[in-house]
Amino acid sequence: MRWPAPATVRWMTLVVLLISWEVVPLTGLLPELFLPSLSKTLTVLWIDRHIYFEALLVTLYEVAASMLIACGLGILVGALVGGLAVLRNLLLPIFSSLYAVPIVILYPIFTAWFGIGSSSKIAFAGIYGFFPVMLSTAAGIRTIDPQFILAARSMGATLPQQITRVIIPASVPTVFAGLRLGGALTIIGVVVSEMLTASAGIGYLVTLNRTILDSPRVFAAILAILVLSIAYYMLARSLESRMVVWQSAGRQQKASSGAIPAAIPASAAA
Amino acid sequence: MQHVANLTELRGRADEIAIEVEALSHVYVGPDGGVPALLDISMSVGKGRFVVIVGPSGCGKTSLLMMLAGLRRQSEGTILCHGRPIAEPDPQRVGVIFQEASLFPWLSTLDNIEFPLSLRGTPREERRRRSQAMLSLVSLEGFGERYPHELSGGMKQRVSIARGLVQDPPVLLMDEPFAALDEQTRMTMGHELLRIWSTTKKTVVFVTHSLTEAVYLADEVMVMSARPGRLIDHIEVTLPRPRTYEMMATEVFGQLRDRIWQQIRKTA
Repeated sequence: MRWPAPATVRWMTLVVLLISWEVVPLTGLLPELFLPSLSKTLTVLWIDRHIYFEALLVTLYEVAASMLIACGLGILVGALVGGLAVLRNLLLPIFSSLYAVPIVILYPIFTAWFGIGSSSKIAFAGIYGFFPVMLSTAAGIRTIDPQFILAARSMGATLPQQITRVIIPASVPTVFAGLRLGGALTIIGVVVSEMLTASAGIGYLVTLNRTILDSPRVFAAILAILVLSIAYYMLARSLESRMVVWQSAGRQQKASSGAIPAAIPASAAA
Repeated sequence: MQHVANLTELRGRADEIAIEVEALSHVYVGPDGGVPALLDISMSVGKGRFVVIVGPSGCGKTSLLMMLAGLRRQSEGTILCHGRPIAEPDPQRVGVIFQEASLFPWLSTLDNIEFPLSLRGTPREERRRRSQAMLSLVSLEGFGERYPHELSGGMKQRVSIARGLVQDPPVLLMDEPFAALDEQTRMTMGHELLRIWSTTKKTVVFVTHSLTEAVYLADEVMVMSARPGRLIDHIEVTLPRPRTYEMMATEVFGQLRDRIWQQIRKTA
């Protein structure tokens, strides 16, 4: 017997999950308070679509703004810390240990400073996502093969040319991995802060409906967040594979090493 | 100090000399004071010659090559390349080929070969023309759009050689370029290099620790001692050209190989 392809198994799993989400509450095994059925969740999502859409817009705006902060600042500071030994020795231990702190404990301070509107979410999630971007940018620059720089120098590259033609392209894969992670963390940061203290946004809807025990609407909000984060992940992945052709191609080639055709001239095969 | 006598007879007219090293010494400054790495090295390389530098590991032969390339500063002494001192990398005069092919993985083969030209802002059409010419020189036609990860180790070194030659520098410095290759590929590449050398008429300084490679490739072999590196012998390889694999089995080849080995063993 042949095993089904992994992709088939993945889709099957999803279908089974969705079906059981619909069927299990109908059988009465779980009360609706614990798990409202899929159809009921979708129905309230449709009835309240304006509310959810508006909330999603607020959340999207906050996510976009905080990603801008996280990525912009993260790449800038990461490049400085990775490139300059003085800053690296001074700041990297501090940043690395700060990364381990659950920054969410600082959120009450953010609301005190920026109010309960969008600004506090943007600031909080921006800082939340900043660390992985900054650390991976610094790592990306620090771990560039020194041979690349030496080769570029031997070919007469000036310092600005070394930066733009070698250091930046060489660090793109590591930076991108950080951006993907940092972006995911800003989504978490925004949603969590909306759940804690807010007056708008999709996370706020989760908290609001939970306090009035309206389970279908809680699940509708959760569904919206799931869709948002999955969409983000797929976007980031496709962007990454497009930007870093040489790296993803390298992985594929290792998987199926048939990339070089047999028609290599005998002398060149060496 | 045999080499002094050997060298004086080589010092012909100045315009026949490609590289002239005069009393070069180098001291590494470490945490516990200075460590002498290179000691009083004087040598000259005639234009169009294939000179191989051999020596035990850590004797400073790579350092010497980096200094010839202008990538590292020596503590003392002068290096003249085509009559002018080398103080910083000058790709117009000197092309460098490293042990690792050090191709940029984000660039295609052609873009890698063109890289030195693009640094100088050479127009795109001329770049393409010259990189295509280099590609066929190293027998890699049809691989221009490939990326380094799609090439074998030997092919990568071919691209690296093409990149070193694309600015048409009169001098080519090679730092153990085939050390990372398996033995069979290494033999083929050595042969290929001689073919490329004979068509381009470059001056080549080639660093290796393989005695066979040294004798097979060289017009002259310079033997370095263990640290601090000094030149302890200078051997003319009298084997005719073009070299063939059969020559490796000859008595002359064996004697030359043996002489180098004896010199290295004495100091190690």
